[in-house]
Amino acid sequence: MKTKGSLHPITQILRKTITFFEKLGFDVYEGAEIDSEKYNFDLLNVPSDHPSRDLQDTFWLKDGRLLRTQTSNSQVRYGEKHKPPIKVVIPGVCYRNEATDSGHETTFMQLEGLYIDRNVTVGNLFWILEKFYKHIYGDNVKIRFRSHYFPYTEPSIEFEMMFMDKWFELGGAGMVHPKVIKNMGIDPDKYSGFAFGPGIERPIMVKYDIEDIRLFRSGDLRFLKQF
Amino acid sequence: MLFRASKKWLSDYVQIEKSDQELSDILSLSGTLVENIENPLSNIIVGKILEINKHPNADKLRVIKVSDGKNNIPVVCGAPNIKVGQLVPLAIIGAKINGKSVAEVDIRGIRSTGMLCSEAELGVGMDANGVKILSNDFEVGKQLNEYFNSDTLFDIDITPNRGDCLCHLGIAREISVLLTKNIKKEPISLNSSGNISDFFMLKVSDSNSCPVYYAKILKGVKVGKSPGWLEKRLTDCGITPINNVVDATNYIMLDLGQPMHAYDATKIYNNKIIIRKSKNNEEFTTLDGSLLRLNSGHLIITDNKKVLALAGVVGGIDSSVDEKTSDVILEAAFFDSKSIRKTMKELEIKTDASLRFERGIDPNITEYAINKAASLIQKNAGGTILSGILQHRVEISPIQIKIEKNKINNLLETSLTSDEIKQTLKRLGFGINGDFAIVPSWRSDCSIWQDLAEEIFRVNPENFQKRRSIVQTERSQKSDYFTKELLKDLLVDTGYCEVNNYSFISDNDVKIFNLDAKNLIELENPIQPEYKYMRNSLLPALIKTVAKNPSFDPVLIFEIGRIFIKDKEISQLMVVASGKGADEAILEASEVIKGNFSENFEIHKLSSIELKKYKIRKPELFYFSLDLDEINKSVKINLEVSKLKNFNSDQQYKPVSKYPSVCRDLAFVCNKNTDSNKISTEIRDSFDKVIIAELFDQFTSDKIGKDKKNLAYHIYLQAKDKTLKDSEADQLIDEIIKLVKRKFKAVLRK
Repeated sequence: MKTKGSLHPITQILRKTITFFEKLGFDVYEGAEIDSEKYNFDLLNVPSDHPSRDLQDTFWLKDGRLLRTQTSNSQVRYGEKHKPPIKVVIPGVCYRNEATDSGHETTFMQLEGLYIDRNVTVGNLFWILEKFYKHIYGDNVKIRFRSHYFPYTEPSIEFEMMFMDKWFELGGAGMVHPKVIKNMGIDPDKYSGFAFGPGIERPIMVKYDIEDIRLFRSGDLRFLKQF
Repeated sequence: MLFRASKKWLSDYVQIEKSDQELSDILSLSGTLVENIENPLSNIIVGKILEINKHPNADKLRVIKVSDGKNNIPVVCGAPNIKVGQLVPLAIIGAKINGKSVAEVDIRGIRSTGMLCSEAELGVGMDANGVKILSNDFEVGKQLNEYFNSDTLFDIDITPNRGDCLCHLGIAREISVLLTKNIKKEPISLNSSGNISDFFMLKVSDSNSCPVYYAKILKGVKVGKSPGWLEKRLTDCGITPINNVVDATNYIMLDLGQPMHAYDATKIYNNKIIIRKSKNNEEFTTLDGSLLRLNSGHLIITDNKKVLALAGVVGGIDSSVDEKTSDVILEAAFFDSKSIRKTMKELEIKTDASLRFERGIDPNITEYAINKAASLIQKNAGGTILSGILQHRVEISPIQIKIEKNKINNLLETSLTSDEIKQTLKRLGFGINGDFAIVPSWRSDCSIWQDLAEEIFRVNPENFQKRRSIVQTERSQKSDYFTKELLKDLLVDTGYCEVNNYSFISDNDVKIFNLDAKNLIELENPIQPEYKYMRNSLLPALIKTVAKNPSFDPVLIFEIGRIFIKDKEISQLMVVASGKGADEAILEASEVIKGNFSENFEIHKLSSIELKKYKIRKPELFYFSLDLDEINKSVKINLEVSKLKNFNSDQQYKPVSKYPSVCRDLAFVCNKNTDSNKISTEIRDSFDKVIIAELFDQFTSDKIGKDKKNLAYHIYLQAKDKTLKDSEADQLIDEIIKLVKRKFKAVLRK
């Protein structure tokens, strides 16, 4: 016999996440990691002449394309090929051109959720996020929502979890901006929707008290075999 | 962008009857995120000493019972100067003294949940000997910062849509809405004489980039130091004081959000201010002395002999205010955010002023701001304010948004009446014109009814309590994702570990792995110069993973990830086996794939000579790869999601040392029904230095005895701060053997 194998901790949490949404009827779509400025920014209401563009440091390719900074790049790509109701989760690797340290990484996992239908409300968004975190952390988890700003959602929120007497940020979400819905070829007067992006690595780090985010991509078997 | 606000400064505009923490929470929930609160005296209250007793275990310490007005707090203290009945500063849990947090502690067997402070510890005096005794005018239980002149500073993260909140007036406006208080903004009355247009003239030749421009002149000022209160406010908020003229302009920026500039009037040629776009090759020396050669198209302030300033971005040295300046021209303008952003990007200059213009300022605050600045300078530096104002103004008509009551109520799941919506909008500064909301001049971020919905949403926390379930449906499409997950489970069952590597590869990788760089996709701005390519195979990084794990033998790993070839992006599976029994292990993995997915791949082998090149000291390495996109096209696997493994690892995580680990193998003979997992868990839990204890072999045989079995483990040992010596590892292994023998009645097998 041989020693036991191990599944990467990111795979484990992602699987738990995706199974939850799959049960509610969400499709799983994996978009491209290399994309154009148009899909990663412009169609998401992040024009290059607005400071909101600077919120995400971008890796550019010599050919003018970029490495997606967020799985939201797939929102319009998926939306323009499907008719509402749209229910999809989009897991995938994203990239930011940021100096790395124990808390920052150039390469990280994201999962985008998108739901567009008639009469989708903020109540739907809060319901699904709360239910999801109960699925992950148990019924006693305390979640709160804070108002925030993202160019592609309106209203926008961030969601946090109470952990060791402090609010710990889990991710961002909001009601899809009418311009973005329109860019999918869908009428924003008839349809509304929400999108959300929970962080993947940070909650794992909190759960296991992992000291350095770079361990996820270190290939160190002493790390990987512990999961 | 972070903005640092002073509570006292905010109180100039709005009454704040909330604690620092309450205020932060209210602001944060509404979208104005307070990241940090700084107050030297927060959580320090007036306490009354009720009892002083000897410490049973320490001669120099005493155990004090202090009342905070409600409860009695036990404090262990060494100060000699306290008596029963005195009022003293009591730091409770959460207070920070000299940078350290006060917490519940055990001091030689006695619990202490607070601390009595000296004058020096409070930062209100120099005396560090003994506790500061307070007079009887203090009231027990009250916060000390109500008596001492301490300010609270809030670090606030302002999102790029809310340029209006990059000043005290803006934050005060938010507070006034959230606490339903009024804003008080003092009118400015100026003491002026003479007439500005007798001295200077203004010409704006690009109204698109400069819709609003005001200038005022002060004559005969005496440049010097600003008064202490002003310097303190600037310093607290992160700006270094320079002189009483420049400080006033910076003060107004932090106060009202209006970036300003001051010129020495005598340094301007021909008493003329011209605002136009730059021409090619115009030269400009900035305040910090760097010489710029401009391209055409940047908005500049000029006297047509030299460039006076890059409008809204940075002033020039040739027209700056210095200690000899007596006549000052003040500038307050509204520059177009896109024009400013273009200049910032092209010249790579960011200033407090340009960042505000880029986010959009209030075009209607300009005149008020310049008057307030003039008055402030006159107060601090004397001089005469010339009557009148040089001005250029294109009327900016306000945005009107139709109030879509039903749509707003639908989206937010509220049932607000038209009047209720209008009331909230009015509190936020919107005007109302029938069914239309008139956006206030400082809120250029609002243009559609959804923006109004967000405003109504964010200022009322009740809106965050709505919950409505969504309809459960069937997933409509097949996804490649599940196929990959199934593959992962099969490989893990075969003993393989999943690895996620980076997508970048380096020049060195290209050389060692003999890749054709021409076919690689190249990054324009890599994080490190050498990691400039996107991987076109998962193999190089996985070979390096084998090399990085010398204490593991065999290394059985796989990765599923994207590879990048010209304009194609492919999901690849790469399986690598190296070391003891790798030949069998790779066959086993390939059988699993063949049985379920594809026959269409070959196993490759790297020889020991090749392996040396990669610094791998294992005899051989096998690998095979699959194009998963191809597989997904052909293979139809009926996969039920519930068949995927559900992991619930509650094993405690142990940090990985920077230093290499050593691996020792141990084999035990024990009773046939001993649980092999219990032994590995026991070993790992009992020894700090054991990071992994894993079973690699088990068998029964007549040779070892009836009802017995053999269990063999790899034990990986590491130390946090060094590489373990052989002798240290030996000693640990001896202890582990003793433990297993004792707990599991096992016998070591040599």
